[in-house]
Amino acid sequence: MKCHVPGPNVKVLGRTVHALARFGDELYVESLADCVLLRTLNAAESAYAVVKFSKNFFSYFNYNYYSTEDNEGLKCKISMKSALHTFKSPTHMDKQVENLEIKLDPESCKLIFQLRCKHGIVKTHFVSILDCKAMQAVYTKDLVPNRITSPHKILSEALSNFQSSDDQVTVEVSSQNMLLRNYIDTLADLSKVIRTQVTLKPAEFDGYTIGADTMITFTLKEFKALLAFAEALSLPIQIHFETTGRPVVFIVHNGSTFEAHFVLATSKADNASQITTQNTTHNERTKRKDVSSSNHSARKKPNLNTDISKCLEEDSHLFNFIHIPEEHPVAVSTDGNVGNNNPQIENNMDCDVILPSPTAKALIRRVFKRCFEQTIDLTNIQGTVLAEDSDPDT
Amino acid sequence: MKFRAVMIDAGPMREFTNIVSTISKLSKECVARIADDQLYFIVSDENSGPAPPILWCEIPHAMFFSEYQMVGLDDDHKDIYLEFTSTNLARSLITLKNAKSLKMKLTKKQCPCLTLEIEVPSSTSQQTRQVTHDIPVKVIPRKLWSDFQEPKIPKPDISIQLPTLKQLRTTIDRMRTMAAEVMLWASAEGRLTLQIKTDTSKVSTRFKDLRVEAFEGPIEHSDSETETQANEDKSNICYCRVDAKKFSMFLSADQISHNRTVCSIVHKRLVVLCLQTEENVKLQCFITGIVY
Repeated sequence: MKCHVPGPNVKVLGRTVHALARFGDELYVESLADCVLLRTLNAAESAYAVVKFSKNFFSYFNYNYYSTEDNEGLKCKISMKSALHTFKSPTHMDKQVENLEIKLDPESCKLIFQLRCKHGIVKTHFVSILDCKAMQAVYTKDLVPNRITSPHKILSEALSNFQSSDDQVTVEVSSQNMLLRNYIDTLADLSKVIRTQVTLKPAEFDGYTIGADTMITFTLKEFKALLAFAEALSLPIQIHFETTGRPVVFIVHNGSTFEAHFVLATSKADNASQITTQNTTHNERTKRKDVSSSNHSARKKPNLNTDISKCLEEDSHLFNFIHIPEEHPVAVSTDGNVGNNNPQIENNMDCDVILPSPTAKALIRRVFKRCFEQTIDLTNIQGTVLAEDSDPDT
Repeated sequence: MKFRAVMIDAGPMREFTNIVSTISKLSKECVARIADDQLYFIVSDENSGPAPPILWCEIPHAMFFSEYQMVGLDDDHKDIYLEFTSTNLARSLITLKNAKSLKMKLTKKQCPCLTLEIEVPSSTSQQTRQVTHDIPVKVIPRKLWSDFQEPKIPKPDISIQLPTLKQLRTTIDRMRTMAAEVMLWASAEGRLTLQIKTDTSKVSTRFKDLRVEAFEGPIEHSDSETETQANEDKSNICYCRVDAKKFSMFLSADQISHNRTVCSIVHKRLVVLCLQTEENVKLQCFITGIVY
């Protein structure tokens, strides 16, 4: 594969690499007959990003540059660090770089980036290829009930209200408004953390369709990275999501030359209000790279809890090292909820009250719960509530 | 115990943000005393346990709040004392600079909280958005109130107007890199001298023609430290040696738009820096002198 990226687009490519670098440590490059795909996955496998650059993005694009036989697509994995090194300062890149040539030879062990800068300077980066595999996450974006299209500014302004120490955000949506809250760990000391809630009205957004009221929690680090990406290119963000425990997909595209999908896992909150929504997705298929580690659905490590469905059309024939999805009994995720009633949806209209974050019980408590009990209390097992959970004075 | 205050004007909101952010730079912990006529911010010295406050800030509520209601414990204990992390409040107020309104109230949500409700206009449409922050606070019990009374200071020997804080701050910050302590000299003729001494050098900066607001002379000098000013009338000069870092910290208050800054010196014992704004906010900083 050989392609040329014109100067202004080099900046876009640079921004993309910088955004992806906030997600994962490795960059998967894949060349298909009519597009180039860049993907990454974070170490915890809770965040995935794919950016598709179509043929039009390049001033010259030759997929069969090195060979004439029609193979099923060139792919390689490079370290994110070396990719970042190539695109050191995306802000000035469009002024300095006139043209970028990318060459990927299936026989070679290097991916070549050649930057032709002003004054005849040519910088060539030979980036070592670590692997020849491609990676793909399967997620759904088309069949979800909730879609929001937002100008990038609104969300970044809303996030500026949060503290820098906040690491997760809970988004609660209803057809009347959208609430953003910082996520507070159930074990955190409440006398130390600030609880922040931002209420946004649907009128602020370009598009706002909520099919099912829900509440999702995901990490801020990646969210901020993709917002910065959208901001740098001044493009709106489309948010597609279903419910808690299911991935949320952020889409940034300019309509013609490139399309970026950022997929973030949402933590699986197992409180009572979630049971109803769990039931509707009863035939949910959960997939993981490592099935044996299914335990890490614990609070700290949200999984890419994905669904077999329509993904990027081009993905279907790609080499896919993620295992074929396993079926998990859903009952597992709904246990341990007995007597945990959370009066959430009713009073979220009252702006005075910041609701507690959706609770997901720590694994240790669930596993060793019995150790803390003096005797087995049958009424407790049957689900009778003797003492209500202490809630804020709502 | 009840407290509720509303702010709707842009000017006071900006000032309030500046005051809080200045305090957050000075200290990690801060005490707010809510009285029925004023709001006080008090900072005690963090290291030395219960000690007289080092920072005392008075905000008359009439100039800032359009609505201000408070109910204390009982008739004898009308005030409310709250302790909180000053950066928590400062960071929550960052968005206040372009906000439409701020509502502050004391709430009980799992723990006592100072709840801020800020209405922010949207940058893209006519809509406003509601931002709510719950800042956890600690209600200070009555028996500890005495730790947060306005410090009683002896009558200063001299009160002299300070040059612009920005200028003073650059000077101090340069000096601070060389020595930990700075000597402040003030003379009845309106001269303020900052001086540091190291093993190899002596640096002094003089500011002239400053207005002297009060002078309780003459000053008795018994030691040899004034020898350098031998050609001047010693009885007109008083001095105090202070920690350069503390002095510089107060000068970060220059972001508050002020109309009067005064430095009062109790000879060799205490420096009181006082900043006043048009809205009658008074910010006082007490720096004890270092005596060998």
